[in-house]
Amino acid sequence: MTKFIVRRLLLMIPTLLGVAVLIFLLLRIVPGDVVEARYVGGQGQFVSVEQMAMERAKLGLDQPLWKQFVAWMGGLVRLDLGISMWTGAPITEEIKLRFALSLQLAVMATIVATVLAIPLGIVAALKQDTWIDYGVRVFSIAGLAMPSFWLGIVFILGLLIIFEWLPPMVYTPFWVDPWQNMLQLVWPALAVGYRYSAVATRMTRSAMLEVLREDYIRTARAKGLWTKLILARHALKNAILPVLTVIALEFAFLLGGLVVTEQVFNLNGLGLLFVEAIARRDYTLTQALVMLVATVFIVVNFTVDLLYAWLDPRIRFR
Amino acid sequence: MRRYAGLLTLILAVALAAPPAPAQEKPRYGGELVFPVPSEMPSYDGHRESTFGLIHPIAPHYNTLLRVDPTDPTGTKPIGDLAESWTASKDGLVYTFKLRRGVKFHDGSQMTSKDVKASYDKIIFPPAGVGSERKGSYAVVEVVEAPDPYTVRFRLKWTAASFLTSLASPWNFIYKADILAKDMHWYEKNIMGTGPFTFVEHVKGSHWVGKKNPNYWDKGKPYLDGYRALFIKASSAQVAAIRGERAHIQFRSFTSADRDNLKAALGDKITVQESPWDCILMVTTNHEKKPFDDKRVRRALTLALDRYEGSKALSRIAIVKEVAGVVVPGTPYATPPQELEKVAGYWRDANKSRAEARRLLKEAGVPEGFSFTFRNRGLPMPYEPLAVWMIDQWRQIGLNVKQDVVEAAAYFGELRKGAFDVAMDFQCGYIVEPDLDLYKFLSSDKNPANYCRCKDEVLDDLYLKQARALDVEERRRYIRQFEKRLLDEEAHSFMTLQWHRIIPHSSKVKGWQVTPSHYLNNQLDAVWLTE
Repeated sequence: MTKFIVRRLLLMIPTLLGVAVLIFLLLRIVPGDVVEARYVGGQGQFVSVEQMAMERAKLGLDQPLWKQFVAWMGGLVRLDLGISMWTGAPITEEIKLRFALSLQLAVMATIVATVLAIPLGIVAALKQDTWIDYGVRVFSIAGLAMPSFWLGIVFILGLLIIFEWLPPMVYTPFWVDPWQNMLQLVWPALAVGYRYSAVATRMTRSAMLEVLREDYIRTARAKGLWTKLILARHALKNAILPVLTVIALEFAFLLGGLVVTEQVFNLNGLGLLFVEAIARRDYTLTQALVMLVATVFIVVNFTVDLLYAWLDPRIRFR
Repeated sequence: MRRYAGLLTLILAVALAAPPAPAQEKPRYGGELVFPVPSEMPSYDGHRESTFGLIHPIAPHYNTLLRVDPTDPTGTKPIGDLAESWTASKDGLVYTFKLRRGVKFHDGSQMTSKDVKASYDKIIFPPAGVGSERKGSYAVVEVVEAPDPYTVRFRLKWTAASFLTSLASPWNFIYKADILAKDMHWYEKNIMGTGPFTFVEHVKGSHWVGKKNPNYWDKGKPYLDGYRALFIKASSAQVAAIRGERAHIQFRSFTSADRDNLKAALGDKITVQESPWDCILMVTTNHEKKPFDDKRVRRALTLALDRYEGSKALSRIAIVKEVAGVVVPGTPYATPPQELEKVAGYWRDANKSRAEARRLLKEAGVPEGFSFTFRNRGLPMPYEPLAVWMIDQWRQIGLNVKQDVVEAAAYFGELRKGAFDVAMDFQCGYIVEPDLDLYKFLSSDKNPANYCRCKDEVLDDLYLKQARALDVEERRRYIRQFEKRLLDEEAHSFMTLQWHRIIPHSSKVKGWQVTPSHYLNNQLDAVWLTE
């Protein structure tokens, strides 16, 4: 097991390095830069070419690409993400502000999704081809068909028209005022969680159906074990592996991928920061965010692998 | 007596019949104004930035030397802010300003001419490594002097009709000289002004809070206890904030559909203010690409546009409305409609206009069905509907136009490289002033932001003449000539439709006047809430 963990940890280094090279080059291929985004167009007609060159030099954009890359890598090794080219503020400060909200939303949406998906998936599998199964399938397909931002708009309009009430527009951390915090985040968590539960419900249902037909389940039943025990100890434990992967990957995605939902609910999260950083050609911030999301994905995958090994001893001993 | 009795009866009758004059509402003190801001500032330094995302939350912390009269709907009349009075020398080359006394920075220190000089020196003559967005628009200034603590003097290199207006720029915050002397970049991350509100907090991506300055020099102001700017990017969330009464006003603009929805939902709780907006999309032709080097072809392109019908249709779905020349309609230097109708592309008879366009194309040897690419910026509003409309208009004179949309951030780089036939260009002013509005169209070697790659010495000369004409009528004449040459005779570039600013706000908000610029009237000193 230790060897397995060490091997996986070591594998993270080349993966992150590959991501770093790729994002660094991709950003430089795209036309335009942060100085252009800031000064050209609109009122930018009075900005001279010399001033733009000066701004580029200040940001180090006049340096050869390899020098820029080495400088960035040097910072990363020291865990220094540098400063945002757009705001001039330390990137850690920019990210820290949004990370708490995105993480909380991701956790809440995952809880909503898990609470919905696993029981519904199990029930649908147990009651296959009954009206219960059909009901669960309609519910989950509807979730797949409805984008979470659309559902978010429906929530907002519903609250506004029926209750003449809107969720708070400003984020309050949970430890400052839990009630205000929940009032703001419960709606996007429901909207996102429902969409996210749809995939997991279908996955749980099909995995359960597969496992329930296995010989060892028949054996357990033949032995006269309680149905609840068969489901919990033998069926669900085996069926949960692919569901775990789906939930974990969705969780990682939620951290930086809720751009439109964040806009609808006016959440100051990482998704919006990501899109703005790209639109403004804020290379340093975009690079840092990509590395952050890549790290989250890698860590989540690693954790899932560990959970796999814990749930299924065959993996551990392979 | 009988003679007078008749007159008295008449006066009495008129007095009774006339509606009572509305009593001047007395401002109420207190309350927090809440407004969404659809953008956020990169830094806090107004001298460096150009986004309204800075002006809306930060302007209330500062004063400027002059300001635009907050009650003037044209947004063109400069009045004193920190300057109490001013005089100009007979030759128009020296402007002397007397400053108000007793003005204090938020840290309690006195504001003097030293601070005004240091601020303007930073704007006009920034030291190496210090960015100044509008340095180029003050090329006329030779030196700024502070002969005594309450006098500031600007010496100009030549006469400039726009000089006073340019000092009313909402960006030219007066900073503290001592701070600038220590660190020219201090104001990029900090606030220290003399304005009606002091700084409380900024949570990036979330909100900005200001509170009443109890020591404000304009006694009795501000009326509000404070304000809270919420950074809300999505327009749907901004509308929801107003509709849900979580915010009072959004100072940029909403669409006509948003206005109608808010009005329908909230009725009298919403007050709508509208104005032509000092922003416009125009069409630029690349003179290095054939056949656009031929002015007959360029004229045909503008003649094809039926702006009057376009205005009716597009104003329902996009943020455009007014048919305009080079200056915002309704402002002092704008061309009156009946005069504008004589300019190519503004004729009332669209059929006659299109027939002339076809004739010109034929004369220039452009065949029926000729194809070209129209480069457009990848922003939906109002770029997309305007482009669709124009492509259809050009189709009606036998041109086959393909639209090529380029991502917003890369767009102007492409234009600068000359990688286009015909393209959409954009101009948005912070104050309606011909010097600012016309500068865009100077020859490309004088202003690289004119992407036509063209040279027109006559236009350059007319620009200088209008800029230096101190007589209003004379200046107006030069502006008309400039407009005629730019839009009609040469058609280097031509206008689509003026943007239209729509501010539906809570009826509780008083003391705020819409102007053609979303950069103006954000000091909030005169704004108050009825409850």
